[in-house]
Amino acid sequence: MVDLAWKILLHDKTRFAITVAGVGFAVTLVFVQVGLFEGLLSNASVTIEHTRADLWVTARNTPNIDFSNSFSEMLVQRVRSVPGVERADNLIVWFAIVALPTGVKENVVVYALEDFARWGLPWSVIEGDPRDLRRGKFVMLDESARKRFGDFAVGDFREFSGRRLEIIGRTREARSFTTNPVAFMDYRVAQSLVPNELHNRATYILVKLAPGADPSAVRAEIGRRLPFNDVRSRDEWATRSRSYWTDSTGLGLNMMMTVFLGCLVGVVVVAQTLYTSAMEHIKEFATIKAIGGRDADVYRILGKQAVIAAVLGFGLGMVASLALMPVMRSIDLVLIISPKLAFGVFVGTVILCTAAALVSFRKVAGLDPALVFRS
Amino acid sequence: MGASGSMVLEARDVWKEFTEGSTTVTVLRGASLSLARGEITALEGPSGSGKTTLLTILGCMLTPSSGTLEIEGIPVDLRSRRALPEFRKRSIGFVFQQFNLFPSLTAYENVIYALQLKGTRGEAARREADRVLDAVGLSERKTFLPRDLSGGQKQRVAIARALAGRSPILLADEPTANLDSKVGAQILDLFRDLARRENRALLIVTHDPKVRAIVDRVALIHDGMISDHFETSTKTNEEILL
Repeated sequence: MVDLAWKILLHDKTRFAITVAGVGFAVTLVFVQVGLFEGLLSNASVTIEHTRADLWVTARNTPNIDFSNSFSEMLVQRVRSVPGVERADNLIVWFAIVALPTGVKENVVVYALEDFARWGLPWSVIEGDPRDLRRGKFVMLDESARKRFGDFAVGDFREFSGRRLEIIGRTREARSFTTNPVAFMDYRVAQSLVPNELHNRATYILVKLAPGADPSAVRAEIGRRLPFNDVRSRDEWATRSRSYWTDSTGLGLNMMMTVFLGCLVGVVVVAQTLYTSAMEHIKEFATIKAIGGRDADVYRILGKQAVIAAVLGFGLGMVASLALMPVMRSIDLVLIISPKLAFGVFVGTVILCTAAALVSFRKVAGLDPALVFRS
Repeated sequence: MGASGSMVLEARDVWKEFTEGSTTVTVLRGASLSLARGEITALEGPSGSGKTTLLTILGCMLTPSSGTLEIEGIPVDLRSRRALPEFRKRSIGFVFQQFNLFPSLTAYENVIYALQLKGTRGEAARREADRVLDAVGLSERKTFLPRDLSGGQKQRVAIARALAGRSPILLADEPTANLDSKVGAQILDLFRDLARRENRALLIVTHDPKVRAIVDRVALIHDGMISDHFETSTKTNEEILL
């Protein structure tokens, strides 16, 4: 079986390499842009996803986890009394100001609980034990704070909103969309940092359902007992926290624009090279028709070339993007390429490359086989 | 025309007009031509006489303004976009002045690909490709790309490609025009031998007077009409080459 589509591509290796590189570049652009976007967005909900809570009670209309509002910490008692609730605890997420040894003041996002271990926070500990946080004026800082806070070590002290706390541990992967470092401390210590705002107040109630409890029934009952709060499932809350940043900022649009431009680059490169190639081989295509081929035989060649360019370009782009992952990580950027994204980009690449070949299809449609007699 | 002389192609009263804007040019004016198995015909005429237009109509590539065409006794619906490629595929092999080989395919692959288009694949295609390349004396160079072949060798590949699939009609457009006289003569000898041996009807459109030496009949076309038509066996060598 002679595969003329492949043979033509391989006959002009330079052009073929340019086509594949063009598609690969566009695929890399899309992967990096969407992957960074996904990575950035994951920061907006990473703590929600790692917390072992089935339901989150928030102040009414709280837009995302970082922009919390406080309510009476006594409300947790009402939640605990709802049938189907196994456990409910107050959580504080609040911004504090850290005074650094350099004199600089930086913001930090504080996560405060009475019992961190029960809720799975922090989920990635490098050094120290979260159970020690309840013993006093202690804090665990995420490694990502180094960039802003400079070096720190267990045993160092830092001033949080005017109170001197000892660093007793280091965590990893705890991030905020606002890029402010995340700190974990005891619930009462956090309240003492900003007493006028947080005295006897919490910002969230974490709810663990009893085995076999009906989530929607429990949720409805909590909502009935706390009419001035919102109750959300973990997934809903994570989605809301992410959507806030995509919908209320230009970030989503910016990402879409770059993806669009990436696709455009890919389509233009493929369309242009396939079209030029089709024009250069127009007499060969006329010969195919003269010796008994049909338009469909010519379309099959062009279509196959587009698919080959798409598949190889996708592979190249995928490899380049995977190679960029550690580079991104080294500069504190998270690049997430999920199987779903990879599949979507693959299908999109094949569709767009095939669409790009349509320009060539139009040119060879109804090609006159008598062209073979013209010099 | 003998046992091997049954008509495989008959074109009758073929007219072709081309219209551009308000100008109509009549290229063919009632040309008629027939080709028989095992017989070689030369179609000669000056530039602009309608040779190539008639060839493209006979080759089912162009629809005439009027006239009829029968191939292997079957009337060709010259207005059907579906029927014409089918006749080309089944009944006609082409040899072009500029060879028109696929540059990315070896000699062998050029033949195999033509067979694929005609619906012959696998072992049958390989056997047929070997047979025709052997017939044109190119078995030793079947793995060569066209760029590595001489003009004469390229034309041999083109002939092999036309022969492959056993189409009863071979149409050759100026097959020696791009070859030097020695190689051209070899190609003509090859044409003659193969057409006879394989019992094909061969039409050679040419300016080359040497072609007359190998053909059975000569059709002269002038201003879109077949102005003269004679069998070379009825002429002396001097008359033929005049």
